[in-house]
Amino acid sequence: MEMEDEKRSNFDVDLGNLMAFDSYHTFPSETPLSREELMKQCLLKGTHLVQAIADALFTLPSTQDVDGPLVTLPPPLTKLPRAKHLPKPKPPTKWEAFAKKKGIQKRKKDKIVYDEQSGTWKRRFGYDRANDEDAVPIIEAKPTDDPKDDPFAKRKENKKKRIEKQEKNRLQNLKEAAKFGALPSHVQLAATALPITGTQAAPKKVTKDELGNVAGIAATATASGGKFDKKLAGEKPQQHQGKYRKFLPVVEGSGIGSQEREQTEKILNKIISKNSHDILNVEKAVRMHNVKKEKKRRSEKGKASPTDRKLKTQKKSFKKGSFKKGKANGK
Amino acid sequence: MRPLDEKETSAVFEKLFKFVGNNLKNVVENPSHEGPDANPGRYCFRLHKNKIFYASESLVKRATNVARPSLVSLGTCIGKYTHGGSFHLTVQALNLLAAYAKHKVWLKPQSEMSFLYGNHVLKSAVDRLTENIAPGDGVVVFSISDVPLGFGVAAKSTQDCRKLDPNGIVVLHQADVGEYLRMEDEL
Repeated sequence: MEMEDEKRSNFDVDLGNLMAFDSYHTFPSETPLSREELMKQCLLKGTHLVQAIADALFTLPSTQDVDGPLVTLPPPLTKLPRAKHLPKPKPPTKWEAFAKKKGIQKRKKDKIVYDEQSGTWKRRFGYDRANDEDAVPIIEAKPTDDPKDDPFAKRKENKKKRIEKQEKNRLQNLKEAAKFGALPSHVQLAATALPITGTQAAPKKVTKDELGNVAGIAATATASGGKFDKKLAGEKPQQHQGKYRKFLPVVEGSGIGSQEREQTEKILNKIISKNSHDILNVEKAVRMHNVKKEKKRRSEKGKASPTDRKLKTQKKSFKKGSFKKGKANGK
Repeated sequence: MRPLDEKETSAVFEKLFKFVGNNLKNVVENPSHEGPDANPGRYCFRLHKNKIFYASESLVKRATNVARPSLVSLGTCIGKYTHGGSFHLTVQALNLLAAYAKHKVWLKPQSEMSFLYGNHVLKSAVDRLTENIAPGDGVVVFSISDVPLGFGVAAKSTQDCRKLDPNGIVVLHQADVGEYLRMEDEL
């Protein structure tokens, strides 16, 4: 017991980091220990150290909790080194520079503001905010207003413009910061990928699958289309481009297949229905109509004077006979 | 040898439709009584080495026993796919077309030879022709004794032909039976 107490006093315990170490411990240097021996000794030492931390913890004033006694740790004594270097200070944004020049101070604003329209207190920003210009349902017209202008559309456009301007400023500041190397790596990537001029959309990233296929595309430059190229480790076989042609079976069952029958039927119907307007031949119909009309007219003409005709024919026959006779005589 | 795909089928059918009109249904659904099979099969279209064949089912079934490179022909070759990819009817289709033809032209005996040498049909050569021919329609050419001689495309409508001068072309030549002699090795 006495010896343990002595040992405990030798350990330096840093409760803030839950850490304990024995600064006086030495390994025997003249006879190097075997691996098992060393491990045994380390474990033993470790046990002692953990015990020392536990002892120190239980000496602290504690409060009772459902899970057991709860202890507040003192601030750590040992200063641990940082894993990463300190972040560089960001260069001031344009506004910050301007504010400094003019001596504008940042002031805290209340989160809640009085809304005059509804007569209640509302949040300053966000959904259902106070004094929201966009929520005004009626805009009073002034005598100077142009009746052609839509004030609601104008209001919407103005807001859009303001947002765009702010976005532009933000990106500009980000780019400036990226030049100084003051941005974390992921933000920096996004900022430098932005185009300087032209469209604001960032260039599309090539997907993993597309990258994997690049080798396949390049391989088509060889005469064999990359078939006999040496494959690199992990290189996938190139993808087949285009579709494979597919045909119906030559003979299906007892002869012509149902699929083929269906296909021919479909095309046959399509062609016949496409040319179905040929059933009515307009030219022929017009001709038939004309012929019929002509016939009708002729028959009507004949019917109009049946007695007259009879007489005429009789007369004619008489005349004809006499005429013929005369003619014959003449000859 | 393989069945036609949808595009090829419509190309073939459209060409045939120009000649046979709605009789195309009969051409396609023609029952065949060839072979020892009890129930009559149908005629079907097959593509082999760029040529389109019109053959009965039982024949097609038996032709599958012949290797592709050694199969020369089966059934009736009705046309071919040109190198440019368009479909042309050949003389062998004449019997099929003549049986179902919609538009016909009969030639005078003295001008039959001119047509059989591969010339177009002139107005002076025409003995009579069917009604309602529109320019661009397929026309089958017959001799005066109703022997099919060939086929072609109408250059003028029936009405226009009446007013045409004797040297005007009535039917543009596409194929004639003279090709059996003139182009024996190509067919």
